[in-house]
Amino acid sequence: MLMNRVAPVIVWAVSILIVWQCLSWVFLEVLELPLAQSKLPYLHELARTFPDYADVLLAEGAVTFSNAALGFLFGTIAGVFLAIMMSISKWVEQLTFPYAVASQMIPILGLAPIVYGIVHDDQISRILIAAYITFFPVALNMLRGLRSADPSAVELMYSYAAKPWVIYWKLRLPAALPGLFSGLKIAAPLAVTGAILVELMGATEGIGVIMLRNLYYGPSHNYMFWLTVITGAFLGIVSYLLITLFERILTPWQPEFRKTGGED
Amino acid sequence: MTTTQVPEIELDHVSMRYQTDKSEVLALEEVTVDIRKGEFVSLLGPSGCGKTTLLRIMADLIQPTNGEIKIAGGTAKEARLAQKYGIVFQSPVLYDWRKIKKNITLPLEMMGIGKEEREKRVDSLLELVGLTDFKEKYPWQLSGGMQQRVAIARALAIEPEILLMDEPFSALDEFSRERLNEELLSIWSKVSNTVVFVTHSISEAIFLSDRVFVLSPHPGRLSAVVEIPLPRPRTKEMRNRKEFYELISEIRDSFEGV
Ligand SMILES: Nc1ncnc2c1ncn2[C@@H]1O[C@H](COP(=O)(O)OP(=O)(O)OP(=O)(O)O)[C@@H](O)[C@H]1O
Ligand SMILES: [Mg+2]
Repeated sequence: MLMNRVAPVIVWAVSILIVWQCLSWVFLEVLELPLAQSKLPYLHELARTFPDYADVLLAEGAVTFSNAALGFLFGTIAGVFLAIMMSISKWVEQLTFPYAVASQMIPILGLAPIVYGIVHDDQISRILIAAYITFFPVALNMLRGLRSADPSAVELMYSYAAKPWVIYWKLRLPAALPGLFSGLKIAAPLAVTGAILVELMGATEGIGVIMLRNLYYGPSHNYMFWLTVITGAFLGIVSYLLITLFERILTPWQPEFRKTGGED
Repeated sequence: MTTTQVPEIELDHVSMRYQTDKSEVLALEEVTVDIRKGEFVSLLGPSGCGKTTLLRIMADLIQPTNGEIKIAGGTAKEARLAQKYGIVFQSPVLYDWRKIKKNITLPLEMMGIGKEEREKRVDSLLELVGLTDFKEKYPWQLSGGMQQRVAIARALAIEPEILLMDEPFSALDEFSRERLNEELLSIWSKVSNTVVFVTHSISEAIFLSDRVFVLSPHPGRLSAVVEIPLPRPRTKEMRNRKEFYELISEIRDSFEGV
């Protein structure tokens, strides 16, 4: 069973690497494109550069990741809070929802320098942007989740003369967890991307900073540049997998985690 | 029985009209019933005649468009706030994220009963509905009939003063059904609560009840009230008595008289 799940992943990964390597060779040797290695570098070159560069990647990656995580946390809290308020009161929903939607129309690329201009601190603006990105998908999915409770299940609570907050605690919030997690899974990689974006616009530490620096130094830092890009992507994937792990632990009753038949 | 006693459930010319966008359904028309404290009554009638609607009015889950309802002399809302009801819905309505035992102890939690006492009660309830081995399972790991039995155990957990059951056994096989009929009666004789039991089955209604309320559809009206003079405690062999068969045909006739 484990083989069935892992095998396709391995096959995919290996085929992508092979195609990558072949294309890289074609660009360099067959088409003889200018700066071919900048377009798609050899994997073995990346692998050779990696050990010397790993320390830097790890340190800068950790900065980016922890800032993104902090922003993600604040965004989640704000999103969940707003969703609960909106589900309690139609009035709050009508008042705030249009603005929540409108806020998403502002391009991050434009917002990031504005935020930086206001707070003048790259750490805080990174956290704010990550929170800002997280907020909307979390609020939206959480609200849907809160509304997803079965009407009969609500009536059951009603028949026990349950206080409104008890209905939330024992019914609406657990029923909303699957929705919350789909929001979190959308938001987590975006929060990382958002943090990197802010770094590209001026910061002192982080993946985005070394990405820009390597780009600036040109072809001589090409492999390092590619490694930072890959690290950025890797951080996004890690954030996603972490959420998936929490989801499995906290909502084991969800249909997709139900074991069918004899597998284990 | 004293004549001055207030009925436990009293419906006075209750009508229910459902309003939808285009149409209007008169689900109940002028239903008047008195149910005594400690009485076991059944609501019997074809699909769509308003049995669930009537039960939901009694439970204060919906308000009738006309008429009045009183529970032990007070309003239905007062009775609900006093946590007098135990309800078995037509579908199990279990909470997916709670294991079976936690589903059963939900009403106990709601009444503020301590953990130790809850643990104690859940075992006997599980035994009662024959699901001891499924204590730690999630609802989706049980069959439809088993889920319904969990719902029954949950309703019985608080030994409610008024037990409202909407076709609780319709998802079960004949054997489990008859066994649970007897179990229900034995619990009822101990707790002596008031039970309103909805069913499609004439024989089930007769076996369980003191009185059977026969409803007719379109609009839902009370078409007959049949007293069941069979002695208590009821036993399996009573199902084979001549009286039992006579009651069946009497109720059949009351359907045809509609
Ligand atoms: N929420 C609702 N909105 C509109 N009409 C409804 C609603 N609930 C029930 N009805 C209508 O009221 C009538 C009675 O419904 P009810 O559910 O009380 O029947 P029932 O006797 O319980 O039927 P069954 O035995 O199939 O459960 C039906 O005609 C149904 O279409
Ligand atoms: Mg019904």
